Amino acid sequence: MTVELDRQGSHNGYVEGLPGYRDDAPLLEVEDLQVEFHTRDGVARAVNGVDFSLRAGETLAVVGESGSGKSVTAQAIMGILEEPPARVAGGEIRFRGVDLLKLSAERRRRIRANHVAMVFQDALSALNPVWTVGFQLGELFRKHRGMSRKDARRRAVELLDMVRIPAAAQRVDEYPHQFSGGMRQRVMIAMALALDPEVLIADEPTTALDVTVQAQIMRLLSDIQAERHMGLILITHDLGVVADVADDITVMYAGRAVEQANVRDTFASPAHPYTKALLRSIPRLDVKGQRLEVIAGLPPVLTDIPPGCAFAPRCGYAQDVCRTERPPLSTVTAGRSAACHFASEVMTDDVN
Amino acid sequence: MGRYVIRRLLQAVLTLFFVLFLLHYLLSLAIQVNGNPARTFFGDKPATPEQIAAVEAKFGTDDPCLDRLGDPCLGMFQQRMADWMTLDFGTNFDGYAVTDEIVRAVPPTLILFAISTSVWVLFGVTTGVLAAMKRGRFFDYLVRAGTTFTVAVPTFLLLVITQQLVGVSLGNWARDTFGRESVLGIVFQPSYDDRYPFLSLLVPGILLGAFGIAGITRLSRTSMLENLRADFVRTAKAKGLTSRRVTIVHTLRNSLIPVITLVGFTLADALGGTVITEGIYSIPGMGGLAYNATRENDLPVVIAIVAILSVCFMVVTLLIDLLYAVLDPRIRYE
Repeated sequence: MTVELDRQGSHNGYVEGLPGYRDDAPLLEVEDLQVEFHTRDGVARAVNGVDFSLRAGETLAVVGESGSGKSVTAQAIMGILEEPPARVAGGEIRFRGVDLLKLSAERRRRIRANHVAMVFQDALSALNPVWTVGFQLGELFRKHRGMSRKDARRRAVELLDMVRIPAAAQRVDEYPHQFSGGMRQRVMIAMALALDPEVLIADEPTTALDVTVQAQIMRLLSDIQAERHMGLILITHDLGVVADVADDITVMYAGRAVEQANVRDTFASPAHPYTKALLRSIPRLDVKGQRLEVIAGLPPVLTDIPPGCAFAPRCGYAQDVCRTERPPLSTVTAGRSAACHFASEVMTDDVN
Repeated sequence: MGRYVIRRLLQAVLTLFFVLFLLHYLLSLAIQVNGNPARTFFGDKPATPEQIAAVEAKFGTDDPCLDRLGDPCLGMFQQRMADWMTLDFGTNFDGYAVTDEIVRAVPPTLILFAISTSVWVLFGVTTGVLAAMKRGRFFDYLVRAGTTFTVAVPTFLLLVITQQLVGVSLGNWARDTFGRESVLGIVFQPSYDDRYPFLSLLVPGILLGAFGIAGITRLSRTSMLENLRADFVRTAKAKGLTSRRVTIVHTLRNSLIPVITLVGFTLADALGGTVITEGIYSIPGMGGLAYNATRENDLPVVIAIVAILSVCFMVVTLLIDLLYAVLDPRIRYE
């Protein structure tokens, strides 16, 4: 099924009029983003200077274990962090040159769903249980496009149809709990795509689903992305999915990007020990009867990140310098960067 | 939805039948154990069996089943139900029709409850929701301290103090300044005035509302806070909706579901509270009627009031269940 690009009038038409807008600027750039949470136990630095950029039509995978700052980065881009306790302490998030962090709350709100949209994990809790799916989809058209209830409902049916939900016209009046897990996630995707955003952030979109459904949802996402030439940020810890659909990868650890590269290069020869350890911990079909590889130790407590490299305590390559001096994210080879003092050794060292 | 309503209605009718039967059976059992209340009618005076029989016949306690311990007295039950169907609740010990007594007592109590329910819903829920929105700020602390205070102070104390402060002190000032028949003069009266039922019930109604408001306010606040953190609220924000819409459309409705239940229970609880409130403010309502009838062992009145209260309770529960289904679609499809 093909999806018709529905760019009514002058495109989505909001961000164009904002200060800093340039048509030729990169779609989304995150520069030195810092987010901290003010808790009773002190300040937790969830994101400590993350940089990346996203081009139209590109899929960027953001990978890392729980608490590495992936979801917080995504929520900071969306502007839906709970503030307080969260606070964006520094950095820039530029959408086509417009620094989103400098916009007023009202302007920020209008960017959401119109230009940058998000698919959450676990659609059952992410959809409101007391409103019909049609209402929750139609709301976007009514509130952002000023459509009548009737037109909004018609558009909701079209959307459900687009995400390949059978009998969309009947199902539009049903409630989220009446859908199966996979269908619910399709609704979630339809909701994010409703206003035809240029950037889609998918935060572990397949985590709550079983494997066959996961594949269908990923297929749907990448099909739509290709058709619409969207920028897709895929947050996941499923490296199999990353290998399948992503172009570039950003590996995060303790709130920092530790490796950024093309997916193929990273998988072939990781330049950071953490990436390497992650790849090793994927269960393999050809190695049976052995214990799964794990990364020994735990990530640091975010209120008390040690000086030096945050991964050093768990790292086999660690030397004294790692415990005192934090390695910056720097270029290893063309188009590849890693935050490790021994990046080139890690890359060439053929331990796996 | 339709099927849910029908099922729920049938359940209510069935429950009502059981409740009424249980009530009837317990009362029959009480007579079988304690002896016929017709005897108390004569006090210390000696009475011939004929006289007792005549009184028993008058108050409908002449059925021989009442002499057999454990007999469910089905015949009497049938008769009683038939009478109640025609709204005939018999006569009380003073010889007046119980139905008339109740008809007189219902309006003040109903007004009292209407006022206190409005207090719960308008004041309790609103402050709870606002406290949640202003979490951790001064208003939130004020609400939390206030609710703790109303829970800590016994209702009757609150009633007596307020009666003195508002009814007497403030009332005297209002009556001196604006005159006895002025609105404020009537509102700040220390007791019920049957010429102005609504105005003179305003203060006791609000006070009865204060009884139980703490729970409703607290629950509204907690429920709202819980939902504000919910994933679907985050989704609503991500949809670029205004914060007003996120709060009202995507948080409030979900938060009201548990509150509705509590309002129902509080309403049932307050049925007991009315006895005190009506007593202190001399309101001739159902609470007062029940209190006097129990004290004087006036059986027909007690049965009638308990039966009516159970019907009220059932209706309230039914309404709440229906409202619940309106607010939460997941319930309709179970």
